[in-house]
Amino acid sequence: MTEITDDMEAVVEDTQLPRRLKDRVYRTIEDRDDVSVEQADNIARAVEVRYLDTRVDPLDPVGTVSAQSIGEPGTQMTMNTFHYAGVAEIDVTQGLPRLIELVDARKTPDTPMMTVHLEDEYAEDRERAHEVVWSIEASKILALGDVSTNVADMLVQVDLNDDTLMERWPRASNVEEVAEEIAETIEDALGVSTQQVGTVIEFGPDQPSYRRLLQLVEELRDVVFKGIEEVTRVVIRKEKTDDGEEFVLYTEGSAFGDVLAIEGVDASRTTCNNIHEIHRNLGVEAAREAIINETMETLEEQGLDDVNVRHLMLVADIMTNRGTIESIGRHGISGSKESVLARAAFEVTVNHLLDAAIHGEEDDLNGVIENVIVGKPVAIGTGDVDLRMGSFSANTEQPSDD
Amino acid sequence: MVDVSQHKLVPEHTLVDEEAVDEVLQEYNVERTNLPKIKRKDPAVPDEAESGDVVRIVRDSRTTDQAVVYRLVIE
Repeated sequence: MTEITDDMEAVVEDTQLPRRLKDRVYRTIEDRDDVSVEQADNIARAVEVRYLDTRVDPLDPVGTVSAQSIGEPGTQMTMNTFHYAGVAEIDVTQGLPRLIELVDARKTPDTPMMTVHLEDEYAEDRERAHEVVWSIEASKILALGDVSTNVADMLVQVDLNDDTLMERWPRASNVEEVAEEIAETIEDALGVSTQQVGTVIEFGPDQPSYRRLLQLVEELRDVVFKGIEEVTRVVIRKEKTDDGEEFVLYTEGSAFGDVLAIEGVDASRTTCNNIHEIHRNLGVEAAREAIINETMETLEEQGLDDVNVRHLMLVADIMTNRGTIESIGRHGISGSKESVLARAAFEVTVNHLLDAAIHGEEDDLNGVIENVIVGKPVAIGTGDVDLRMGSFSANTEQPSDD
Repeated sequence: MVDVSQHKLVPEHTLVDEEAVDEVLQEYNVERTNLPKIKRKDPAVPDEAESGDVVRIVRDSRTTDQAVVYRLVIE
């Protein structure tokens, strides 16, 4: 162990290293025995040299490097679409299909899901946590009781299950109260008048019609009595935190905005895997973070964790650059490039050339692709450096611009 | 409505005054319109921000301690 002295600090702070690396240098010095100020200086300088060495050079094609750095590991990813995720038996798209989904910025992911964190006592007490579960998971009639049709009297009979009702409506004082609420929901949703006795609800079509009766039963099955329609299933799990344990909910289906407003939900940690929902509820910056997290997790899950985050950060930066989420590809970034030739070289060549011809577009040949097409040096790296010859005049020995 | 700024995915957004904007633009040698954009109705934008303003965003960076970026408020 070495104590960090003021001299050492002065030496380290004098370098051009970023804060995080400076801290690492301090920690390294602390971990070793008897480091002199001179040695500390050497360490700091050596780290600085490496740091400056690995910075991106001016005119480096970072985008191309990112594309290759993500593309190559992408070839090793599984094509298997479905696979139960490590957490909580919930079906989540992973691997290549998920990565494609992310960079395409699909409006809804194949398998939307949310990770819902809970607040205070809701996170500690299983009963309270279940309260939140029932206000999220959609309760449909088949989960609440039995539905039967009485053809003779032209009636639909719903026999509600007492235990289920008390479980899903923990705030209610008795089952009748809940049954009343359910009867009202049925009336509103189906436009029929109901008769409720105890936990049995009966209703039928206005005029005796066998078809209408069956139709009512069909419609009844889709009515949501409690919870959020989009969420079909909620799994509750106990997870370890830094200080103890807490309950975390995983949902199949997502409605991020609705869930944030539910009592007991910790609106500061709850997330979902739909980047558009994050964008809508939390803004572009959060969406940028979500894109980085999601792409990183997708790669890591496939054992490709050696892809540098910087590449994923660049992708996320570009996708959120205009204040909304844009996809990489024909309908997004690549499709909105300024150069006609660059767009035409990407996809649907003829359409782009035809449109450009109709509108009399011009191409200034500033970009890389255009210049590859016409066979000129590209404006990248040394290709963008212009040299101008200067000369020394014999008598003044001063350089001149002639 | 939920307080968006409390969410761990949302970095701190603050409005930048005009003088500071000029300094920033000078430092990066860019035009105002070259900055990345953010919509005025974006949930994380400060309420008093108007189209044409610049917001400073301080992110907890994965590669350094904190990263400061600027976005131009549009629409």
